[in-house]
Amino acid sequence: MNRARWPLVLAGCLVLAGCATTPPTKLAFTGDPLADGENAIQNGPPRDRVLWEYRTALVAMRQGKYDIARRDLESAVARLMNLYGPDKSAKEARSLFKAEARKTFIGEPYERVMAYYYRGILYWMDGEPDNARACFRSGQLMDSDTEEKTYASDYVLLDYLDGYVTDRLGGDGADAIKRAEASAKMWKPPQFSSNANVLVFVDYGAGPTKFATGEHAQELRFRCNPSSVRSALVKVAGATGKAVPYDDLCFQATTRGGRVMDHVLANKAVFKKTTDVAGNVALIGGGAVLATQHSRDAQIAGMAMLGAGLISKVISASTVPEADIRTWDNLPAYLSFVALELAPGQHTLQVEFLNEAGQVLNALTKTVVLQIPEGGRDKVIYVSDKSITPQML
Amino acid sequence: MTGCASSGVRNPSGTPVTELKADEAGTVRGTGVESQDLVAVTDKMARSILNVKQIANAQNPPLIVLDPVRNETRFPINKDIFLSRISGQLISKAQGKVQFLARDRWETLQKERELKRQGQVTASSDPTVQEFKGADYFLTGKLQGLTVKAAAGTSDYILYSFELIDARTTVIVWADQAEIKKQGLEDAAYR
Repeated sequence: MNRARWPLVLAGCLVLAGCATTPPTKLAFTGDPLADGENAIQNGPPRDRVLWEYRTALVAMRQGKYDIARRDLESAVARLMNLYGPDKSAKEARSLFKAEARKTFIGEPYERVMAYYYRGILYWMDGEPDNARACFRSGQLMDSDTEEKTYASDYVLLDYLDGYVTDRLGGDGADAIKRAEASAKMWKPPQFSSNANVLVFVDYGAGPTKFATGEHAQELRFRCNPSSVRSALVKVAGATGKAVPYDDLCFQATTRGGRVMDHVLANKAVFKKTTDVAGNVALIGGGAVLATQHSRDAQIAGMAMLGAGLISKVISASTVPEADIRTWDNLPAYLSFVALELAPGQHTLQVEFLNEAGQVLNALTKTVVLQIPEGGRDKVIYVSDKSITPQML
Repeated sequence: MTGCASSGVRNPSGTPVTELKADEAGTVRGTGVESQDLVAVTDKMARSILNVKQIANAQNPPLIVLDPVRNETRFPINKDIFLSRISGQLISKAQGKVQFLARDRWETLQKERELKRQGQVTASSDPTVQEFKGADYFLTGKLQGLTVKAAAGTSDYILYSFELIDARTTVIVWADQAEIKKQGLEDAAYR
């Protein structure tokens, strides 16, 4: 090569090297959901951080690792609370040429509600029922902007627990309890005992997942997954509490109605289709002109049409109307709660999960050994059909 | 060059740490309780308490115990932080006009006294004499909220109420309030 050309080649290499970006780190999954979640939180894309915090916190709660759950939900809830105003990633998600999944994930309202719900349980475990109530109230607010107002803020347990805590703290929780009873579609929550000192949160089944439909996958949809578990029994010291489903997350996910973002995605889809059709018309028209007309002006016009058609096709291909289907995929389907009164001392509590026919699914039975202190605060227990067993509290 | 544009790592160098004053509203905002609210509310309360005649005219500095604030809002908060700041302000600026009892360290203090009584550690006075003091007043408070959510956004009003209660008579000798309202609207991508 001519020596005089070396500087040019080097300069070209440098320019190209400058363009190189480090590709996003590919997450390696080990099969341990807690380790994988922790890894994803630390090393995954920042826009997915809250998603992984949600997932990991729930795994941790089911493994009785409440410190991890507390840390992850604290971080996720802090993000939920500071959502206002301009957000660069959200702006990108609304743009024609970026996918909705570019935005920082905070989840659909039912997912945000559940982040507050689980954070509330953890606050109550820590002896802070008023902060737990704050979470239940914020959770209910997350569900307040449904399209159909009938389905707004209609989580039975969130209102029930709001009333319960208010009553326990010496206030009047009657209004919240009335709202809970009015929202109850499956089971009405029971009259609560002011003397109850063991509060058992139970959930079971597989929560909803997301998928997209429409010509360009622009329509967000929810899939309700079948659940073998339909109810549960909490047994301790000769007493049995029915952990019937008060809230159904699939119902909550599917009754929210349309989102503002759905309109944005629909417009993106229309734009994509229109530019595609316009591109086709211009390409065919330009081709036809070139093939049939031989004058210089016609040839120029034909070429211009081809060029415009190509540009339109490129714009169409670059338009990304796909809905964001990232899902908090380890949520339960049903939420329940049982309050019991137990004497101080050690107790062994069993949670049996039942199928639709009311038969016990023995393989899922969980055991919790708990110590009730003398004159102590409420003992708050969380048990899922996916929890480890036995748990020592 | 346009072809070089990548959608890889955004803001790869990160954002440098910005130091803000505690009473300054940062760029990260929510409609809940923030540090500037805490500073404004507790400053107001500390000033107000010093004007209470039972404190201003007391022959001996009144002894105050902090009773945890009640949170009735929709925002989970560290409730102790309000009373910590009010008491901190009073201790540092009231020149001994009030004194606070460390009831939140009760177990540690009791253990220390027990060690002294058992002779396991030295004591500068007779450890069998009861020297733990009782409260003249309780300082406590309550946070209440009102939330409205509509298509135009979310509005949160928080009423911060604090009281000084006479431990002997249960009379509320001082009460003051502060109120803060905020509103915001999230990006359409989240609605």
